[in-house]
Amino acid sequence: MVVAVPLSGEGSSLRIEQRAHLPSFLGLSLKNGLLNLITLTLYRFWGKTEVRRRIWASTYVNDDPLEYTGRGVELFVGFLIALAILGLPFLLATFGAQLLGPAIAGLIVVVMYIGLMFLVGFGMFTAFRYMASRTALRGVRFHLKGRAMDYALSYFGYGWLSAITLGWFWPAAQRRLAGQLWGGLRFGDGRFRFDLEAARKVGVYGPYALGWVGLIVLYIVFAGALFGVMSPMFAAAEGGDTPPVPGLGMMVAIYLLSTAMVVAIVAAFAPYHAASLRSVAAGTSFEGVRFSLDLKAGTMVCLMLSNIFLILVSLGFLMPFVQARTLKLVINRLQTSGAVDLDAIRQSAQAGPRTGEGLADAFGISPI
Amino acid sequence: MKARFHDGLTAAVHTVEVTVDGETLAFEVQGQAHRWSLGAVETERVGEAVRVAPGARGAARLVIDATEWAAATLGSDLERRSMRREMKLVIGLTAFAAAIALFVFVGMPLASGPLARHTPPDYERRMGESFEAQLGVALKPCKGALGQAALSRLGQRMESAADSPFRFRVQAVEAPMVNAFALPGGAIMVTDDLIKMAHTPDELAAVIAHEAAHVERRHVMQAVWRSLGLGLALDAVVGGGSGAGQQAVILAGSFTDLRFSRDAESEADARGQALLQALGLSSQGMAPFFERLAAKGQSQTAAEVQELLSSHPDSLRRARESRVRARPGAPAFTPAEWAAIKAVCSGQDRPLRLPRLGGKRTATLVNGSLQPASGLE
Repeated sequence: MVVAVPLSGEGSSLRIEQRAHLPSFLGLSLKNGLLNLITLTLYRFWGKTEVRRRIWASTYVNDDPLEYTGRGVELFVGFLIALAILGLPFLLATFGAQLLGPAIAGLIVVVMYIGLMFLVGFGMFTAFRYMASRTALRGVRFHLKGRAMDYALSYFGYGWLSAITLGWFWPAAQRRLAGQLWGGLRFGDGRFRFDLEAARKVGVYGPYALGWVGLIVLYIVFAGALFGVMSPMFAAAEGGDTPPVPGLGMMVAIYLLSTAMVVAIVAAFAPYHAASLRSVAAGTSFEGVRFSLDLKAGTMVCLMLSNIFLILVSLGFLMPFVQARTLKLVINRLQTSGAVDLDAIRQSAQAGPRTGEGLADAFGISPI
Repeated sequence: MKARFHDGLTAAVHTVEVTVDGETLAFEVQGQAHRWSLGAVETERVGEAVRVAPGARGAARLVIDATEWAAATLGSDLERRSMRREMKLVIGLTAFAAAIALFVFVGMPLASGPLARHTPPDYERRMGESFEAQLGVALKPCKGALGQAALSRLGQRMESAADSPFRFRVQAVEAPMVNAFALPGGAIMVTDDLIKMAHTPDELAAVIAHEAAHVERRHVMQAVWRSLGLGLALDAVVGGGSGAGQQAVILAGSFTDLRFSRDAESEADARGQALLQALGLSSQGMAPFFERLAAKGQSQTAAEVQELLSSHPDSLRRARESRVRARPGAPAFTPAEWAAIKAVCSGQDRPLRLPRLGGKRTATLVNGSLQPASGLE
């Protein structure tokens, strides 16, 4: 017996909700942390998969939950492949460089790091593609169009441009890079699009300037404080004595200073991150639906500072909890306008890659 | 029981009536009957519902109320199956991790000896040059030319007695720690603090002989191979691109922290003393030096002593053993050489008084050359 839900024809609006029960992520964090310990972190692929599965399953689109279909073993195999084609050759190159003398060693290291920079973009694209292909809604998969090589080239080129402009090209670069990912996303045969002009309507340079200037100021303050902490050593060196070995007190002071520096940098750039996400959301549309993100700078600062605090005090154990609360906050601030006929979306033949995001894992750049 | 059904072809939603009969789940959509085996289905709790998939790769989904589903599938081992799978996974991964640890702590140390012996000396020499180039950033050679020359001469004598393809180049360097270390390819470095701590030429010669033995027995190369093993394991565990493995290899070189095994240290003690004896030099300096290290470690908390002790934990045992082997012999340095060495890092060839011998001043060191002291005899 069948009762087919009648098709509306014109479609309906989209309502996206994140309903994660956060306390349950505390237990998951503990479990993953302990298993990571006894397996020398090898469990992390399965741990990460479980975190994604739960976050996806608590993200509802018009009351239907997303589904994450990835498997830990896929991530593990992806990791092994990355290890074989990347880790091992690089390790041997480093080792070999030592055998070949200083000049060639320097050259090899430089070439290697340029290669690594190129591969970072490659890793980001393939990680996004993998996650898209393992995401489904109502039994229909997402997938990502485009070539990892193109994205890697863009990333590499934008990276250099940003370096040459002392970072001032980076906001534009991030917007374009996000556009390459979100604009290539498909849900079945339904298309996401990225409109750079619409994204540009949300300004990002004001908040970025705040972070950029803040960073300079912070560096100066940090350097001054560091000099103050280490002045006994300099004084001793000046006096011609052997500088004393840094004592425990000094090490703790330096460590605390560095932590404060990292926290302050994160806070300084949080308004930019919020603006960047708002801009990307504004540029993104799915069929007839446009997105916007109501994420204020202050909210982002609070979120990121509390996240750092949680990670520091838990020595990283609470990472899954932090990821869940972050996504919950951001997704629930996502607003949509316009309509789409979801029922008419058809499955695409694209099955996605067979293994997952080894490169992204290798670089530690996968977002969740 | 009622269920929402997605056919995996479109995103449309169908409402169906599902029945569970033994090990089979059955429902009908638009006149077509579907039968899924309970042995193959995969389930996931989603809020108040359960999402059921026909198997690993099927795209169709049923969404059923969790309570009804639990009642209908009571007695099936769905829950236990996933528990068993997870248990197997954890056991397998733990075993894998143990294998990696075994490789690092047992396999690589065992293999490093033969690997080091079969490494062409030329490779080791070039690796040493790389290490030295990196070290040069942090450790500056001391500027006292006479002292360096005296150290260098002892190195050459060690080389003549040793069975090694390498040139033994002994050098004093400035560093805020008591330490001496051998690099691949024959470079031996002694820190100014260690020179300060040595009371007699015998003691310093013993330390240098010990390092020379590390070079001769290729312990240095052995440690390098072990660091590669550690790098490999680190990569395997935390991923290659993080650079952790590479860092381990680089650090091993640049941080002067090549760790030797306890056996290698004992071997270097014995062989070092044998080298001294072969040259007719006293091998009595080793024991007092170790003893002072150990005694200092107990009575004081000087960070510099801690530093050496941490890499040489069993100083007292080694002092005992080296005392048994010790033989008298000539001092490794003449009084003038010894004075130059003592001043090698601080004097920078400024005029310096020599220790009084028999209550008489013998010479003054000026601009790197030994000149008779005024009023000599």
